[in-house]
Amino acid sequence: MAGREAVRKAVQQVRPILSVDREEARKRALNLYKAWYRQIPYIVMDYDIPKSVEECRAKLREEFERHRNVTDVRVVDMLVIKGQMELKETVEIWKQKGHIMRYWKESQDPKPTDFLSKFLQGVN
Amino acid sequence: MASKLTTGLTGLVVASNPHHTLSALYGKILRALTKMPQDASYRKYTEKVVQNRLKAVEAHKDVTTLEKEIACGQVEELIVQAENELILARKMLGWKPWESLLKPAPQKQWNWPPAKIDEPMI
Amino acid sequence: MAAIIRRIGCRAISNFAAKNVVAPKAVGAIRLSSTTPAPPAEDKPTFRKPNEAARLNLSNFGRYVAECLPKYVQKVQLTAGDELEVLIAPEGVVPVLQFLKDNHLAQFSNLVDIAGMDVPSRQYRFEVIYNLLSLRFNSRIRVKTYTDELTPLDSCNEVFKAANWYEREIWDMYGVFFANHPDLRRILTDYGFEGHPQRRDFPLSGYVELRYDDEKKRVVCEPLELAQEFRKFDLSAPWEQFPNFRNANPPAETVETKQETPKK
Repeated sequence: MAGREAVRKAVQQVRPILSVDREEARKRALNLYKAWYRQIPYIVMDYDIPKSVEECRAKLREEFERHRNVTDVRVVDMLVIKGQMELKETVEIWKQKGHIMRYWKESQDPKPTDFLSKFLQGVN
Repeated sequence: MASKLTTGLTGLVVASNPHHTLSALYGKILRALTKMPQDASYRKYTEKVVQNRLKAVEAHKDVTTLEKEIACGQVEELIVQAENELILARKMLGWKPWESLLKPAPQKQWNWPPAKIDEPMI
Repeated sequence: MAAIIRRIGCRAISNFAAKNVVAPKAVGAIRLSSTTPAPPAEDKPTFRKPNEAARLNLSNFGRYVAECLPKYVQKVQLTAGDELEVLIAPEGVVPVLQFLKDNHLAQFSNLVDIAGMDVPSRQYRFEVIYNLLSLRFNSRIRVKTYTDELTPLDSCNEVFKAANWYEREIWDMYGVFFANHPDLRRILTDYGFEGHPQRRDFPLSGYVELRYDDEKKRVVCEPLELAQEFRKFDLSAPWEQFPNFRNANPPAETVETKQETPKK
């Protein structure tokens, strides 16, 4: 119990980036998700990417799910800030088609799992 | 007084009534400083400088001799400096920098060269 | 492998440097053997000697800054003989810079540069360094503060307009977040680039490589097989083994500031 108290004190001493508690951070993350979600049809149209709106939304969800178990408020804030910047870069068409398609990692071969293909590719 | 045509500096126009402007600004600075605690070093040093300049402004009615007396640029530059100091003094009232140190530096934060720091390697 | 090659390269350079330092000394010895011996201060003719009057001025000014802002200034020091450094708490960035810019006796109205530095072994790994220039008094000062990956620093954009792009650069290269910055976004890296390249744990080769794909008719991005798996943070200067270097000027001399306890 004393240990937890100490931890909480240490946490309180740090300076917040944007949000003061988890609820606020969660709201920010949700807002970011909504903003991306609403922009996706325009992004698909503007960049002329070979993906449908549904595929993009699935990718958006996947990107957010990747950070599902982040609990530190400040880390959440930092991710939200970076996501916000990325959204702006995308919506203002500062990016190009290749940058958008980078989310799908198409040209990357999946890593070999079974022994024979590992052996053939020369990795272990 | 009308002898000066230009300051020779881009964007800095000749002041029409520098003595009036300067003494008004210095008065404002001194009034802002009085709200600070007596023993604040910032207050002491700034009061000294500003009062010296104010005395010079009152003593010398001629712009050229005034500039020579203060020896910190032309009167227009002096006005800019006074404006800056006034902004600073008013902000200082909010910051209260005369209080004691906010927090000491973490151990070995300022050690140099860093090779001598043999604390946990991350 | 790359690290090893680099280290060898460094050693070669430092060997070369050491020879260069030693050579003039030998010449001096030959010439002096026939005349009166030189005073002891002259035995390092290649070293620039700091001007004592300038040093005194600088340390006095450092004391003045520390006295005016005891809330923020942690330490004042002279480095490399005659460069004044003020080391401050991260909360004091805006007040200290505003003071240095607007005070009658300082007038450091130019922000020359903002630099970052990463020392992973420290508690606060990043250092942010502000270089200021006073045209009025022809002098320079350096203000240093510290932060880590998740602690925001105050943006000094309201004090110096020049700070805008410099702070964007620090954000891009180190990932230090500046609160209240009007337009914080990347400035040097490509859109979609992940990571902060000037951090010491960022591999020299990066994580991805880009190439043009002829079938897809666009640039694609692929992860790089990292050749550089492990990186040792060896922060010692490679030429420290040379006595000429070791006994050179001390890296920093602290200026004693009067630490009286001011009343609230």
